[in-house]
Amino acid sequence: MNDTTPYAVELHGITKRYGDFTAVKSIDLVVPKGSIYGFLGPNGAGKTTTIRMILDIVKPTEGSLAVLGAPTAMDVRERIGYLPEEKGLYKKMKAWGVIAYFAKLKGMNGKAAKARAYELLERYGLGEFADKKVETLSKGMGQKVQVLASIAHSPEFVILDEPFSGLDPSNQQVMEDVIKDMNDAGSTIVFSTHVMSHAERICDRILLIASAEKVFDGTIDEAKAVIPKIVHVEGVDDGNKLSTLPGVDSVRHSDGDGIGCFEVTMKDSANPQDLMRNCFQSGLELTAFQYHEPTLHDVFLHLVGDDAKVASVR
Amino acid sequence: MNNSLHIAAREYSENARTKGFWVNLLMFPAILFLSIKVPQLLEEKAKPSRHFVLVDQSGAFSDVIDVALERDYQLSVVKKLMEWQSKYTKPELLAESAPSAEDLENMPAMDFSGGMTTNISGAMMDQLLDDNDELLSLLMHPDGQEMFMQAVSGRLIENPPAFEPPRRFLVRAPFPEGALDHLDLLTASREDIVAAMKPYLLDEKSIVNSEDPLFALVVIPPDAFEQVKRPMDIPLGPVAAAEAAKAGVQFWSTNLTDTDLSKLVERAIDKEVQRLEYVDKDLDPEVISIVQRTNMQFATFDPKKKEGQEIVSMADTLRKWAPIGFVYLLWVAIFTVVNMLLNNTVEEKSNRIIEVLLSSATPWEIMCGKLIGIAGVGLTMMVGWFVSLLGVLTYMAGPEVEWAGVLIDVIKSSGLLPLFALYFFSGYMIYAGIFLAIGSLCNTVKEAQNFMGTATIILMVPLFTMVFIAQDPHGSLATFLTWVPLYTPFVMMNRAAADPPMFDLVGSGILMFVMAIFMLWFSSRIFRMGVLRTGQPPKFMELIRSLKTSQKEQ
Repeated sequence: MNDTTPYAVELHGITKRYGDFTAVKSIDLVVPKGSIYGFLGPNGAGKTTTIRMILDIVKPTEGSLAVLGAPTAMDVRERIGYLPEEKGLYKKMKAWGVIAYFAKLKGMNGKAAKARAYELLERYGLGEFADKKVETLSKGMGQKVQVLASIAHSPEFVILDEPFSGLDPSNQQVMEDVIKDMNDAGSTIVFSTHVMSHAERICDRILLIASAEKVFDGTIDEAKAVIPKIVHVEGVDDGNKLSTLPGVDSVRHSDGDGIGCFEVTMKDSANPQDLMRNCFQSGLELTAFQYHEPTLHDVFLHLVGDDAKVASVR
Repeated sequence: MNNSLHIAAREYSENARTKGFWVNLLMFPAILFLSIKVPQLLEEKAKPSRHFVLVDQSGAFSDVIDVALERDYQLSVVKKLMEWQSKYTKPELLAESAPSAEDLENMPAMDFSGGMTTNISGAMMDQLLDDNDELLSLLMHPDGQEMFMQAVSGRLIENPPAFEPPRRFLVRAPFPEGALDHLDLLTASREDIVAAMKPYLLDEKSIVNSEDPLFALVVIPPDAFEQVKRPMDIPLGPVAAAEAAKAGVQFWSTNLTDTDLSKLVERAIDKEVQRLEYVDKDLDPEVISIVQRTNMQFATFDPKKKEGQEIVSMADTLRKWAPIGFVYLLWVAIFTVVNMLLNNTVEEKSNRIIEVLLSSATPWEIMCGKLIGIAGVGLTMMVGWFVSLLGVLTYMAGPEVEWAGVLIDVIKSSGLLPLFALYFFSGYMIYAGIFLAIGSLCNTVKEAQNFMGTATIILMVPLFTMVFIAQDPHGSLATFLTWVPLYTPFVMMNRAAADPPMFDLVGSGILMFVMAIFMLWFSSRIFRMGVLRTGQPPKFMELIRSLKTSQKEQ
């Protein structure tokens, strides 16, 4: 087992087919150790299948992969934590018992697992429920317990499938804190989500999947750079003047906003600050100049918008 | 493997620590205990005394009925006295006289085909007393009881509690005060007598000195002897026969189920009629009685037993019938635990815990863990059953429930226990495979139940055939079912006591193990594929196709 690799996960052209249906198509990916990686994509895009292949729960039809340097996750399962998309626990077990049980399955000894369960429950505000049966906990508490169960053995690499779904805003914040805490402690995190704001806040890198294929893979800034910068200007008599300015790719009269309103699409390398300066220098008298940095949400819609619609109809 | 053990430990504690499990476990000895104890208690405490009024217009039968009543009562005294004396016999003497294995082998065989609840002690006592009138006569003597006490006093512990004679259950009551005063009983019509007594029979009026209602009225007509039916009489048609029956002795009662009294009265009158017939025909009733109690010695032998010990004993008979009990236990045990397996698997699947498990352990490890854990539950249940069974039997064993002691001996000595364990585990493996596969394919318990409908019909076969196989352990049904691996554990358990042919025993055993291993292999494939499936359970052909595909992939 080669654990000198700088990557927690390496995927090389992995594909999963169920009969005629292709769930994941030839995805290549490396997840650097110590990073927080977000898997984004519309419903049914193939995120969960990719995660299951990484975890060796399903075998890829084609391609190869390595997890923490090992050919299958099963070989290094003690070093991996996993929270599945659909949450469920043994209802009749006590909260600490569930956490300790999954920690034991990941190689911790009984005593240490129990102590760790109590410690985690205490730390994340569930200390008084440690000896309660899971069936008596609220849904949110149950989810917290499950998250704690997946990380109790202090894994080096954690995969969380839709960790924020079903959580109220304050618990979503707790979840973000958990992820950051683990990352600070040196763990690599991969999580899938629909909520772009979480990904934007905590991810170092993202993978965007649509229709079983990789659409984008890179940092948040790189993702934002994919979208052309658009500036909204008002008070311009002649749109042609705008299009001659350096860094401007195209100019479109924005209908409905009144006379003198234009949408300026900038070239990739151009900077909105320079455009403003150039406008003043060339004597254009602007009454308004608006530039919004694109959000991940915009990027998502830009890259997979149609697929997302198709997926939601499907 | 470590993970399998963790999973097994969890499965075990989840199932064995539930209240339901322990209720189920204790239910069996409790039912056994109650099924023996309750009838005894009811007989002793709750059964009301049966008061009846006898109007004997013929004047010929009241004495014999009184004697029969007294004899019936003394029989119950004798029985209780015997139990009392063996209960308070000095322990060292008791050990001496306790039935040894050899004694058990020499006890006369009883017929259990009517069921296992026969009270051997009672039945044997009746037989003994019927054969030996002197013993009963001694105890019917006014001082008989005292004489008996004196005879046994040396064997008893010091100051035993005083003997409490049983209650009289059948009591002849005097005429209710004023009820029949207006009638001349010798000549009154039967209709008048019945009409006068009806309010008492219907509990509208109560008889004096008794809390219990009047149970019955017996009216013997003045011309009773003309109503005697003889074999040489010309047979009557059904209507005429019913009319003729009405003219004889009439027994009036609202209770149609308790026939003790009516039988006693009928027998007493019949005996007297027969005695008078003998006299009429110049035959000596004494001689007849002696002749009637003369019989040939008769014993049943089993050629399979050791030379010199071939006589069929009570232990032998119990040994032949015990496997039915074992088959039933086996069936209940196997299906209780495999149902747990099914429910747990469906639960894990429906709430997606299985996915976390699969990220921590291989499907094979998960399956092994579940199988081991639930097998442990089954083992606990069986050990619990047998310990409590032996406990209940030991507690019960004694003069009152003699067969309990014999059954303990049979269970310990017959070698059925190791076979039971063997067939439990092999049956468990086969059925666990099937149920695990079903569980892994279903998302909800409801879906699983759809599969279970068909499965249950197949599973009922061992129960339906249980008694037939015990009666004919080498018959074609037994032999055929022996070779159906699904039924081998139950059928062979049933045949175990009848020394099945070695070929059947070993051959079906091998087939059963091959089947068990195949089932586990097969269900591990389905399990692998099924646990991650969502949506409707697959159709059969779809299942085969997916199995083929998944085989190619691995």
